[in-house]
Amino acid sequence: MSYYDIDSILTDAEKIPCTFQLEIPELGYLDNQPGQPLKAGSKIALPLWLAEMLAIANTGGDDQAKSFVTFDLPAALSNEVVQALKADPRAVPLRDQSPHLYGLATHMMDLSEEQELGVVLRKTFVTRASEIALHARKVGGTGHNKGTADEGSNLGVGGTGEEFLRGLEEWERKLFRKAHDGAKAGKEWMENVKKR
Amino acid sequence: MALPLPPGLNHAEVAFLAEMEMVTVVPRQRLESINLLSGQTPPLRPPHRAELPLWLALLLKKQRRANILPPPWLHPSSLAEIIHRETKEDPVTFSAPPPPPSHANPHDPGTARRVRDADADANLAPPFLPSCTAGAPAGYLPYHWLEVAEALLTHAGDDMAAPAGDVRSLLRDLVEVRAAKMRSSTSALEGFGGGLMSLRGVGAMELAESRGFVLGVVDGVRKIGASAEAARREEEELGGGREDDESDEDMGI
Repeated sequence: MSYYDIDSILTDAEKIPCTFQLEIPELGYLDNQPGQPLKAGSKIALPLWLAEMLAIANTGGDDQAKSFVTFDLPAALSNEVVQALKADPRAVPLRDQSPHLYGLATHMMDLSEEQELGVVLRKTFVTRASEIALHARKVGGTGHNKGTADEGSNLGVGGTGEEFLRGLEEWERKLFRKAHDGAKAGKEWMENVKKR
Repeated sequence: MALPLPPGLNHAEVAFLAEMEMVTVVPRQRLESINLLSGQTPPLRPPHRAELPLWLALLLKKQRRANILPPPWLHPSSLAEIIHRETKEDPVTFSAPPPPPSHANPHDPGTARRVRDADADANLAPPFLPSCTAGAPAGYLPYHWLEVAEALLTHAGDDMAAPAGDVRSLLRDLVEVRAAKMRSSTSALEGFGGGLMSLRGVGAMELAESRGFVLGVVDGVRKIGASAEAARREEEELGGGREDDESDEDMGI
């Protein structure tokens, strides 16, 4: 991911639930208590970039050093979501969980040992990818069972397909775009052969 | 970001390259040999057949100076056989690319062996083997099958063994079957470590169409597995270090 990658920046801005391990003076306004110190053990959602730094950094060089915060998995990667993905990856609208779900998940896996999450996510991504390719080919009437759809238009989407495509997360949207560009270029070429 | 163009060849470029494929023509007029960069074309003497590059054959066809003989793999029965193989016999993988050319000794039956031309194709691999070109035998798809078939059907439809519409509908079926395989082949990446996605026997035009998608999927799988991979490497390194020396244990920290 490059420095100017907008998706990477937006992924860093996702909030994840953190628990403060120390009492911090003058930060009470974060927990709706302005003017008071922030107590140890209070739970606050912090953006990923900040939580990452605070979780990795620690208080000092002595033996009792501990990190400022500990964090849990965000709601988008909670156990319910993972179970739903295990059951049927296609039925979960990932976008409702988080528009940057995979990016968030890879960050979380970097920070903590979540072997199972990786396995589930890979299965999800791969299964949904073939579904995405199917829809990408259909859009614009490329599929032969959609002969009546307007050629070259994007109006051919409908029914369950629309529902699924709306639930696509940013990585998947990019994938859809690539698959669709390929299918469209192929169709254009086919038509061009006839003209010459 | 640095390169605005997507990687790989696009459809027009692939189709352009496919025009270098050799096809057999039956000339209707005499034509002397032409000196081309790629060598001399054979002189055309009707009714002797000759091998010409596709672009020249199409040009002569449009001027009604030659008829194009459709390659054996474009025969309807060959296409039907391939479709049968792709759908019924092996619904997962793509049908194999053409075998390397072989020749049999009539005095010693059953011992056909590959033609080995030490200079020419010792280091060649598909799709550059001679048999992966338009000269592929019936029942196999050469590397440029879709482009060559489309060009021939469009410009030399009357030279086909069957009505061009029939051949075209067979070809459409084949395209659909193989596109569906391309989509479902991504699920092979599900296993631990990424699995393997075999694209053996896939034609140039199909590659051009699916390149973006396939690369996207593989890259996504790589990113999802990156942290697990890093952890595994670290573990391996630690394990290796432990064997050498007990005190090296905290090196990874």
